[in-house]
Amino acid sequence: MSAREEILARVRAGVGKEDAAGRRITAESWLAARHCGPQPVIGSSLVERFRSKAESLASTVATVVDLAAVPAAVAEFLALNQLGTTAVLTPECAAGDWAAAGLTVSARSAVDADLVGISGCFCAIAETGTLLLLSGENSPASVSLLPETHIALVPVGRIVATMEAAFALLRAERGTLPRAVNFVSGPSRTGDIEQTIVLGAHGPCRVHLILIGDIA
Amino acid sequence: MNAAAKHSQAMHFHARAGEKVRNPALQRALQKARPLFVGKRQKGLASLAEDGLDFTNLRSTAENIRNRVLADLDVWLELFEERATASGAEVMWARDGDEVARLVVEIAQKHGVRKVTKSKSMLSEEARLNEALSAAGIRPVETDLGEYIVQLAGEPPSHIIAPAVHKSIGEVEALFAEEHGRPQQARTSADIPAMAREAREVLRQHFLSADMGISGANFLIAETGSAALVTNEGNGRMVTTLPRVHVVVTGIEKLLPTLEDFATLMRLLPRSATGQSISNYVSLLTGTRARDVGALTPGPSPAGRGEMGAPLHDGQVPEGPEKTVFILVDNGRANLLGSAYQDMLRCIRCGACMNHCPVYFSLGGHAYGWVYPGPMGSVLTPLYTGIENALDLPHASTGCGHCADVCPVGIPLPSLMHRLKEEQLARGLRPWSERLALRVWAWVAGRPRLYRWLTRRVARYLDWLADGTGRIRIFGLAPAWTAERDLPVAAGKTFHELYAAQKRK
Ligand code: SF4
Repeated sequence: MSAREEILARVRAGVGKEDAAGRRITAESWLAARHCGPQPVIGSSLVERFRSKAESLASTVATVVDLAAVPAAVAEFLALNQLGTTAVLTPECAAGDWAAAGLTVSARSAVDADLVGISGCFCAIAETGTLLLLSGENSPASVSLLPETHIALVPVGRIVATMEAAFALLRAERGTLPRAVNFVSGPSRTGDIEQTIVLGAHGPCRVHLILIGDIA
Repeated sequence: MNAAAKHSQAMHFHARAGEKVRNPALQRALQKARPLFVGKRQKGLASLAEDGLDFTNLRSTAENIRNRVLADLDVWLELFEERATASGAEVMWARDGDEVARLVVEIAQKHGVRKVTKSKSMLSEEARLNEALSAAGIRPVETDLGEYIVQLAGEPPSHIIAPAVHKSIGEVEALFAEEHGRPQQARTSADIPAMAREAREVLRQHFLSADMGISGANFLIAETGSAALVTNEGNGRMVTTLPRVHVVVTGIEKLLPTLEDFATLMRLLPRSATGQSISNYVSLLTGTRARDVGALTPGPSPAGRGEMGAPLHDGQVPEGPEKTVFILVDNGRANLLGSAYQDMLRCIRCGACMNHCPVYFSLGGHAYGWVYPGPMGSVLTPLYTGIENALDLPHASTGCGHCADVCPVGIPLPSLMHRLKEEQLARGLRPWSERLALRVWAWVAGRPRLYRWLTRRVARYLDWLADGTGRIRIFGLAPAWTAERDLPVAAGKTFHELYAAQKRK
């Protein structure tokens, strides 16, 4: 007997039920129903909640009114932190006059030498201050992973309350999952040497979020 | 002896326990970690309450989700297999650890792999995967910082969430100096960021040069055929993004039906493990890079959905593995279904039970002798390696019951340990002296007048030994008991006498 057959036979014996076809229909209807468990009560403003949670995770947050203001905001952040004027960005973010802000950007996957990566996000989650990034041809995952500094552009209209709401949006707009759905909540960290928290383990040491839109 | 038992040291628990208690460096590390672990979870629970969520309510929801999967595990496994395959991954099955090791080595050889980067996986410890890979001439590199440290030390992890919790900064420095080829330096806690930085730089080169990534899965999602991976360091993302091949090694019990179920469990797992309301990186991985061909995400705009931007060009292909393989592992799990121990399969490996266990914090994880320490290990090790191969573990308990209180999926760990003890007795696995003592006790307890007379004698005798101080300093009948402590003595009257006196009042 193959390993598969043997394991499934053991599992069936342990489950101890007949009518696999009927049970399968029940399982599928559970999938279709998408029951949600208890969800948090998020206060009135999703943007405020997102911002305060993100800051508590050691991200920094800036706001701009529209897309046109993004390159200048990025340049300002880089200058303030002495991070140079060069960045790799995901092609989804390539629109915009980066040169006018004094920045040299290239739209591609990131490599080890890249120090700053700029990405968009599919949406963001207020509950935990989390970005939801999808892998894709115009949104390579390496840009938010390899560089030491990750700057993410977050349209305020894309901030949803919970992970459940993010999944609903994903199903509505995309239907299926891409290869990687990455939830990113602040810079990478480790506590593995004497339980002391250090920011910047393998992923970025610094995460800067630029909220785009009318915040008031 | 089953395959897992070959490498279990659980039978030496007693001897190891003594050694661990007398190891001052270990004791210092444990005493330092204990309040931190407990405090973090408290913070995590407080953040739930702030959001108007009730832990008990959330726990029973999570318990139901896990029970739903286990009750029809055959159906959920088949659903997962179908959807994972349809999404472009390959699904394989392994009966035990040896089969896991064989399959992984075969996959590596087939794809010409010379170096493997690994994200933390306890199942890979069950399978002794690093040993098998090295024997086949393939270099395995652990990339979770704690796992990296214990790999350099040639030790197994001592905690399922914090693998190197037993290591002091000095020990880590010595390992790094040797591996990284530099002189050893004096280190204080102020140097920890620099040391983490050094490991980051070394491991970055491994990430970039590895041909294959191996990870566990915190969960498998049946709905989408995906693996869910939860890490703080970002190593999980690295090993599943950069190498050509990705192998997910995980237990058959790790399934969750839907993404919504996953969202519920994610409110409990990080809080129970490290007190975080979410871990830094949570990834859902589905299929291979082929899925992303032509997949475009709208760019940012104030309204939400902006221009697409051009896809990658100049021959750049989407990132991610060309080949993704799931290895679904039994290794003793299926036998627990329908047994008195089925509840144990709900475990989500958060580590809260060991973080709140006085026995764990007296001994550390290595004393337990196999992959899993603490209360969950005291249940799993005998079940997966054979009850007769881990006789002491179900007794490694003070009976405080803390583990059951904190478990986010409501596993009744103390009663499972109790059941294992009963089974030892029923199978004649306890020493003859203990069995005889229990038989004598049962005989006496079945004769109330004799019982009362005897307990009266004993109570008076102990009181006399204590000489009115309430404590016995040297107890001749069991000298080991009083070697390092006093034996407190009660009132000198038996419970029956006290009860009768109370009633008269
Ligand atoms: S038994 Fe419960 S507390 Fe212990 S690791 Fe498993 S889920 Fe966590």
